[in-house]
Amino acid sequence: MPAELRAKIMNQFKPIHLLGHILLFGIGLVLLYPLIFMVLAGFFNKTEFMSTVLGVFPIPKEPTLDNFKMLIFGTTDSATAVYLRNSVIRAVYNTFGALLTSFLAGYVFARLKFKGKDQIFLIMLATQMIPTTLAIIPTYLEYARFPFAGGNHVFTGGSGILDTWWVYFIGGPAINIMGTFLVKQSLEKVPVEIDESAKIDGAGTFRLIFQILFPLQLPIMAYIAITTALAAWNDFITPFFYTHSDYLQTLPSAITRISSIGVSPGAVIDYPMIITLSLGITIPALIIFFFLQKYIVQGLANTGIKG
Amino acid sequence: MAQTALRVREASVKRAKTRNKDAWIAAAILTPMFLFWLIASGFPTLFGFLLGFFNWIGLNDTPNFVWFDNFVSFFKNPVYTAALWRSIWLGGLVTSVTVIAGFGAALLMNMPLFAKGFYRTIWYIPAVTSTVATTQVFNTLLDTNNGVINNVLKSMGKEPIVWQYSVNWGIFWIVVYSVWKGVGGTALILLAGLQSVDPTLYEASEIDGADRWGKLRYVTLPGLKPFATYIVITSLISALQIYEQVLFITDGGPYGQTEVLVFRIYRDGFWDFNLGMAGASSLIMAIVVIAVAVLYFNRSSKAERQTTIPVKPLKRGQ
Repeated sequence: MPAELRAKIMNQFKPIHLLGHILLFGIGLVLLYPLIFMVLAGFFNKTEFMSTVLGVFPIPKEPTLDNFKMLIFGTTDSATAVYLRNSVIRAVYNTFGALLTSFLAGYVFARLKFKGKDQIFLIMLATQMIPTTLAIIPTYLEYARFPFAGGNHVFTGGSGILDTWWVYFIGGPAINIMGTFLVKQSLEKVPVEIDESAKIDGAGTFRLIFQILFPLQLPIMAYIAITTALAAWNDFITPFFYTHSDYLQTLPSAITRISSIGVSPGAVIDYPMIITLSLGITIPALIIFFFLQKYIVQGLANTGIKG
Repeated sequence: MAQTALRVREASVKRAKTRNKDAWIAAAILTPMFLFWLIASGFPTLFGFLLGFFNWIGLNDTPNFVWFDNFVSFFKNPVYTAALWRSIWLGGLVTSVTVIAGFGAALLMNMPLFAKGFYRTIWYIPAVTSTVATTQVFNTLLDTNNGVINNVLKSMGKEPIVWQYSVNWGIFWIVVYSVWKGVGGTALILLAGLQSVDPTLYEASEIDGADRWGKLRYVTLPGLKPFATYIVITSLISALQIYEQVLFITDGGPYGQTEVLVFRIYRDGFWDFNLGMAGASSLIMAIVVIAVAVLYFNRSSKAERQTTIPVKPLKRGQ
């Protein structure tokens, strides 16, 4: 064994493998640099951040945990607590919605037999080709002219559902087409005999779906959950375009408000605050990623394309 | 004879009954989801195809049907055509750099190295970060007065650069940011492709006398083709629609010379309230993107298509 191990270790020192290590590690560090900088900057207090000449790895003379505390407890700034809460609500709500719709619809398209199934599924997939950009302005108009909502006399007169909780809640239970596709593909690999024997044993459709088929789909569900949670967590389009009240902002949209596009031209940009909020977005995403990266890698590699 | 016929009939009746029952279950499950989908994206998308044919300025204006007027002004106005071209070549540039760098990284990650998993993780991390947050970090690094990069330049005795005044630097940082964010995911998918190549093919080519390059050229690349096509097309489709990094890094400046088409749509829709023009630009963008997707579907074989996930990666904020 030791000989084998030694051979393995020596193998790492072949010139081409050494080059691999150097490039992958070196460039990897460069890729990580903005995040390293962000964490270091998080230890600065505002005055010190503004007054020191920032080096490549800035270390504060008087490190402070205030920024992190503010994020977690919202003690110094109740607004941040609201942003954080909204972000969490959106991520959780959308994830549950995506899991439920993907799984149920995936079951319908993989297992049930009805007329026009394949056609419906193909049309659904085709809509995925249409770029989302096309819908940004029409969505705004639709929300603004939403019948009988927000003071609208049928279509006009008020502001519709713009700037209400509805803009966040409508997307959640909508069918998640990519998730449906992934679940369908993965369910089709489960033999139908399992369904039949469960039915013979007296399980109803409901039990069959949730007690027998669902546990078999956990890896793919994990992939769907992670990608949806991250997308909702990082999303700034919905709050940025369709809301303006403070109580509806999320962490990403709160950043846009104090960044260069939000403040009046020439105003001093509050970088420490921006960095703090950025940390608030990035750290939870990284934690989710670290714990569940196995599923992301699997999902990317296995459910995607098979050559 | 008659009995067999009866049995066949019974069986088909039974099948028809399960079909009927299945259809009811399917309808019960799918209808609510489709209703929400219709509000959240179905109807707006359909509406998006029509919006460009109206003259509609400001939310409270009455829209006028003007046929192709908006499209005519789109192609007459150099601001729009320039933005369209910029979207196309910027998208092409970002895609090629990302895919080439990702391919190199995938080749390296495919070697029998210790800490492979660690490398994969750190390369993929930028992909899970928020665009808003990380562009702001880039801005902090690029700040004119106290940005790290200018501080380094100053310490080397050079003049600090005001990045926002230069078109080329603006484009450069937009590309750097996009590649930074995309290279890890690209590398992971190409790595999966490399690992799916049948190892016996390498042995066979070795017997035939292939060297390292021969193997790369005649075994790896053909085996990687479906993955490469997939990644090029999906990257191109998302790179054509880049605008968040433009919005946050250059804000279209200086003098609108880094504006891409989707950024223009945003300006028209939410600043100038020229909704018809925003609709026309969106439709043109959609046609370009759909053309790329159709090209992909025509190029990939039927077998590839069936095992390939459709063109948009799983990512939707709403």
